[in-house]
Amino acid sequence: MAKQNPMSKALVRRETIAGYAFMLPSLIFFLGFVVYPMIQCVYTSFFDATMNREDIFIGLANYKELFQDKTFLGALKNTVVIVIVSVPITCIFSLWVSSVIYDLKGFACSAFRCIFYLPVVTGSVAVAVVWKWMFNNYYGIFNYIGTNTGLIEQNINWLGDERFALGCIILILLTTSVGQPIVLYVSALNNVDQSLVEAAEVDGATKFQCFWKIKWPQIMPTTLYILVITTINSFQCFALIQLLTSGGPNHSTDTIMYYIYYNAFKLYRYGYGNAMGVVLAIMIALLSALQFKMAESK
Amino acid sequence: MKKKQTKHVDVYKIISVIIIAILAFTFAFPLYWIIIGSFKTSAAINSATPQWWPEEWVLDNYRKLFSKQTAELWEISIPFTSVSFAGPTVPAAIRWLLNTVFMAVAAMILTCATSAMAGYALAKKRFVGRTLLFSLIVCAMALPKQVILIPLLREMASLELYNTIWAVIFPIVGWPFGVFLMKQFAEGIPGEMMEAAKIDGAGEWKTFYTIALPLIKPGIGALAIFTFINSWNDYFMQLIMLTSTKNLTISLGIAKLQAENATDFGLIMAGAALAAIPIIVVFLIFQKYFTKGITMGAVKG
Amino acid sequence: MKKRKITALLMSLVMVCSLTACGGKDTSTSQPEPAPAPADNTASQDTANQDSAEPAAPADAAQAADITLWTYPVGSWGDSATVDALIANFNAVYPDIHVTVEYLDYTNGDDQINTAIEGNQAPDIVLEGPERLVANWGARGLMVDLADLWTDDAKAAIYESVESACKSSDGVYYEYPLCMTAHTMAINRDIFEAAGALQYLDEEKGTWTTENFQKAIQAVYDSGQKNVGAVYCSGQGGDQGTRALINNLYGGTFTNPEHTEYTANSPENIKALELLKSMDGINFDASIAGGDEVNMFCNGTFAVAFCWNATQEKNNMEQGNINFDVLPMAFPSENGEPQLCGGIWGFGIFDNGDAAKIAASKTFIDFMANDETQAALSVKASNFWPVKDLGNIYEGDELMSEYAKFIPYMGDYYQVVGGWAEARTAWWNMLQQVGSGTDVSTAVEEFVTTANTAAAK
Repeated sequence: MAKQNPMSKALVRRETIAGYAFMLPSLIFFLGFVVYPMIQCVYTSFFDATMNREDIFIGLANYKELFQDKTFLGALKNTVVIVIVSVPITCIFSLWVSSVIYDLKGFACSAFRCIFYLPVVTGSVAVAVVWKWMFNNYYGIFNYIGTNTGLIEQNINWLGDERFALGCIILILLTTSVGQPIVLYVSALNNVDQSLVEAAEVDGATKFQCFWKIKWPQIMPTTLYILVITTINSFQCFALIQLLTSGGPNHSTDTIMYYIYYNAFKLYRYGYGNAMGVVLAIMIALLSALQFKMAESK
Repeated sequence: MKKKQTKHVDVYKIISVIIIAILAFTFAFPLYWIIIGSFKTSAAINSATPQWWPEEWVLDNYRKLFSKQTAELWEISIPFTSVSFAGPTVPAAIRWLLNTVFMAVAAMILTCATSAMAGYALAKKRFVGRTLLFSLIVCAMALPKQVILIPLLREMASLELYNTIWAVIFPIVGWPFGVFLMKQFAEGIPGEMMEAAKIDGAGEWKTFYTIALPLIKPGIGALAIFTFINSWNDYFMQLIMLTSTKNLTISLGIAKLQAENATDFGLIMAGAALAAIPIIVVFLIFQKYFTKGITMGAVKG
Repeated sequence: MKKRKITALLMSLVMVCSLTACGGKDTSTSQPEPAPAPADNTASQDTANQDSAEPAAPADAAQAADITLWTYPVGSWGDSATVDALIANFNAVYPDIHVTVEYLDYTNGDDQINTAIEGNQAPDIVLEGPERLVANWGARGLMVDLADLWTDDAKAAIYESVESACKSSDGVYYEYPLCMTAHTMAINRDIFEAAGALQYLDEEKGTWTTENFQKAIQAVYDSGQKNVGAVYCSGQGGDQGTRALINNLYGGTFTNPEHTEYTANSPENIKALELLKSMDGINFDASIAGGDEVNMFCNGTFAVAFCWNATQEKNNMEQGNINFDVLPMAFPSENGEPQLCGGIWGFGIFDNGDAAKIAASKTFIDFMANDETQAALSVKASNFWPVKDLGNIYEGDELMSEYAKFIPYMGDYYQVVGGWAEARTAWWNMLQQVGSGTDVSTAVEEFVTTANTAAAK
């Protein structure tokens, strides 16, 4: 920083002390419960670590095994699929819903907003129980409606069929994650400068042009924020899988998060689980950095 | 807000509203089904033909939920002594609810306090290592907790925090998303105001407290609500860190209310209804503040 | 301003305090009550028990200890009211041993114990079966050798098949058994009767042959019941039902007689899987687990249940879930002589390095399983059968008498092979693969390879 005169040097020192003083409480928690475990995680990933035994150093063996482990690669693919599918859909769907409901009169907008938020507050354990019943192969509501309307010929075993299980998980994930974006978009759309919109309308702009040229730039920051939180939520999708499919059928709903958990607490392969964690952390860090760069450049 | 009434009938809008209304039913359905289900008999819940409205309303599930296990309502122990005070014995579900509220509130307060200060420093203080710290925070922001699960468990064990509610709270507080959010807010504090305060002879703390804090208040509100709901739903961390009946949270407690090879759905639904009600009440009461708070955060972000 | 500053300071102080408070004290934050409290508790319990305990108590002061017991839902051992009563009996004799109970479930129970082990807070006593106590935690050196509970008298009294299941391959006892059962299957008698399928089974003995089983299922299917039964394979518990079904059909085995290797790839097992795959009305269903199957049998979706035992019938009857006649059946086998899968539940002790707690835990186990009056109560709480001759403890209980006929069919208890946890997951995956059309021998081969690799570790 500035080094032209002694004044600013003193200032830098003062700023540094004050800065760290303000950072300190947060840093204790961040370093203690995120950074330190992360370092441990990297360290342990070079060991064959298990329960009730000294860790044995094995170098990169865990990583070598990782990239030959078909289940891991499958889980990696599923995780990526969940993120790639659910993030854009969540954003687009919630934007669409918000754009329709944000200027509804009186009670309606508030009621819709509330209803779409309900799955978020219901809690994943309870939501999973209900959806499991709705997807039931023999008397679930989806098969009932599907067969009666002729959309499907015979009952589909939604959660028990490799072709559908991941899709079902994503669908449930979507219902539990659009609540917050809708709330955000509704408020953002209401805050759009109305005079600009009116001016454009006077100039004969179509509705679409109005949206794209005037509203969209103004809700862009909201969109970025939503992208970040939705990505985080999608990566963390765990409870639904644990409660509904345990990663099956045939590993078709295994995600890295579930597979780490499985390796750690069913097979006691701590080192191996940590190696997976490191790979995932690198992926996510890169993605976050990318998202942030995008945000900065806007 | 002045809005022009569109004179012609907007077909797109009407169709959209109808579709959204139908979708709204699917979104509300799980909660409806849980609440209704919690008043059904076991046979009605397990029945292959659904009862959309209970033929017979029973309180059995709640009775079971409240009689299954018990715990002391609270336990306070004075540090460094073996003196402790235990509250009256109550159904475990009540204790779980209390634990969950305590956890969510504690996580919320700690997160807001630490993040507001740190975010302010990152935005307004030009200190050495600032860029490095901020990059670290951005990279760690999206990190799922499962990744550091094993080391975290070992760490909690060696700190003897395992199986205490703090083991769930601290990782939430450490999660740097809050700092990031608050930094974005604090960027908006006008430099001149801070300069003015400094000229008036205000110290660092006073500047923060009188100038910065009121300006980032909406952001703190947003973060508070976000943290509260996220920690309420943080099933995973709870599953790993808590074991004793008296230390469980409500969602974990519900998940554990199962017998051998036979899930008692009535019991689960009663528990889930109980768990959902407080947070829905919070949502309804703070709805206004809630949406406002979050929006400000997003617009500034 | 000052005030706020002080508040902030105070807050951070409290934070640090709470940190040190948790860190500084020796597990007291996690233990339910610090040392003085249990004394109070037991004292009050004593008075409740009319002081009769004091003279009778053979326990000396050295026995005073705080121990934890974690139970899986083995019958009513998962129910706090029942367990509290059992522990009150124990405290009447041993007032100085304070027992704290935690109740586990089969979905998360294993993970909770595993994380507790890693968190240095493993329970002292756990109530479960050999697959966990012996093959899993025992094999990892986490359990205490229970040789002093296995006295010559105990060895003489406890059935030999049970005894062999309670020790590891190198002869160390990690479990002291309490109760057992033979897992059966069940049929919806009403549906079978209507379909005219009862002629294919021996109602008296509860057995049928493989051939008759096929005919019966076909008859039920033809009568309009399109879903007769499901080979559930979503995961978690209830694997014994699918194992017993597949092994019995053509006399296959799950492991070799020495319990060192998995043999699920034998021609008999492959044939059995292929038969099940080809049968009308039997679905391989990866969306349901054992518990779901039971629910769907009770609500009439399925006409047979493979995950069944006496407790299932008792519980579901009590809850009013069943409105038809349940007929428990042994699994079908070629000669009609089934080898049922047993469940053996008992106690194991985690080695937490505290001799006093281990001694107290042994006292507890000895009381629960061996005390003259208590043993029968402990077994009855499980709703299963004793592992030694205690006389007819279910005198007059019609349901239990009906199920008692299956006990003699109990086969070899093979769930003591290493790699149990991994093998079980691989088993479910194998069934899922078969269900989704993978060639049976390929799937079974993969299972055996995975399971044997795990067993060899």
